[in-house]
Amino acid sequence: MATIPEVMSDTPTSDRNRIGGPTEPDQFLPDSDSAEQPEANAPARGYSEEQKYQIFNKEFMPHIDSMYNFAFRLTMDEDDANDLVQDTYLKAFRFISSFEQGTNAKAWLFRILKNSFINDYRKKSKEPAKVDYQDVETTYNSEDAESEHTVDLRAESVSDLIGDEVATALNSLPVDFRTVIILCDIEGFTYEEMAKILDIPIGTVRSRLHRARNLLKEKLRDYASSMGYKEENDE
Amino acid sequence: MQTPLPSSSGTKPEMKEHCSHRADCLKLIQLILDGEATEQQLARAKANLESCKPCIQMYQLEKEVKELLTKRIEKRCCPEQLVATIKTRILSFS
Repeated sequence: MATIPEVMSDTPTSDRNRIGGPTEPDQFLPDSDSAEQPEANAPARGYSEEQKYQIFNKEFMPHIDSMYNFAFRLTMDEDDANDLVQDTYLKAFRFISSFEQGTNAKAWLFRILKNSFINDYRKKSKEPAKVDYQDVETTYNSEDAESEHTVDLRAESVSDLIGDEVATALNSLPVDFRTVIILCDIEGFTYEEMAKILDIPIGTVRSRLHRARNLLKEKLRDYASSMGYKEENDE
Repeated sequence: MQTPLPSSSGTKPEMKEHCSHRADCLKLIQLILDGEATEQQLARAKANLESCKPCIQMYQLEKEVKELLTKRIEKRCCPEQLVATIKTRILSFS
């Protein structure tokens, strides 16, 4: 039932958001000093046990903070985020032979996490299942909302919002919309990477992101006006 | 954006108070801020962003919102305990 991630060999290896991971490298790499340097392009499924641990440590673990942040933003719950990250890393290790060394590990891991979330967590998540992406998308697709919809809001109105307010606005979005914003604006993935993580065409990434941002701006506008940030002179 | 925008033919382009393709301009602005616009799209937007008031305002808003998301939302770090648990469990695999 778990989706086995495919190798994403053509994704770039850019790693703009590399966050310092755990600081005990090779802690569980058996005989790390005697382990052979793996070839640059080791064929899939050909990893030795040592290589597996090395890939796990060097390519997977550095992303654990980003992964946790993603899991937390998806589940909005620390315990669920813990479980989701742990399951994802265990899966990643089990399916490590389908990861091609040197390719985009972060996107590969994010894809597993997102699939695990959909398959295992979404059903039991606290989020009301009714307000789902399909519904919202249908609503937005109808009445040509797509064509002329712009949110009336000024940059100055939102510039004083604090992180918690922005996070709350983000959290109030349906999960599919929240996801694209997290991937793009918080994690800095390209559209192409997002398309692979989410298994959707790039055009869908673009339009979903566009709609997600319109929704988010509506939420931010509500916040800004409730906080009295809205300037009175305009309009 | 399909309609060609009036190019700045002289020294100082006249400021447009109204934009008749806001929705398309907004999409283009987001592409630019996401670093996904082509050279062609960039050039087209550049002229526009010098002469169209509503587009300038949209650009500022989109930029501000993106910065709110990138800079103000707290980044949760993975708890040490979870890192340790994962490492232990991975070890038991072999």
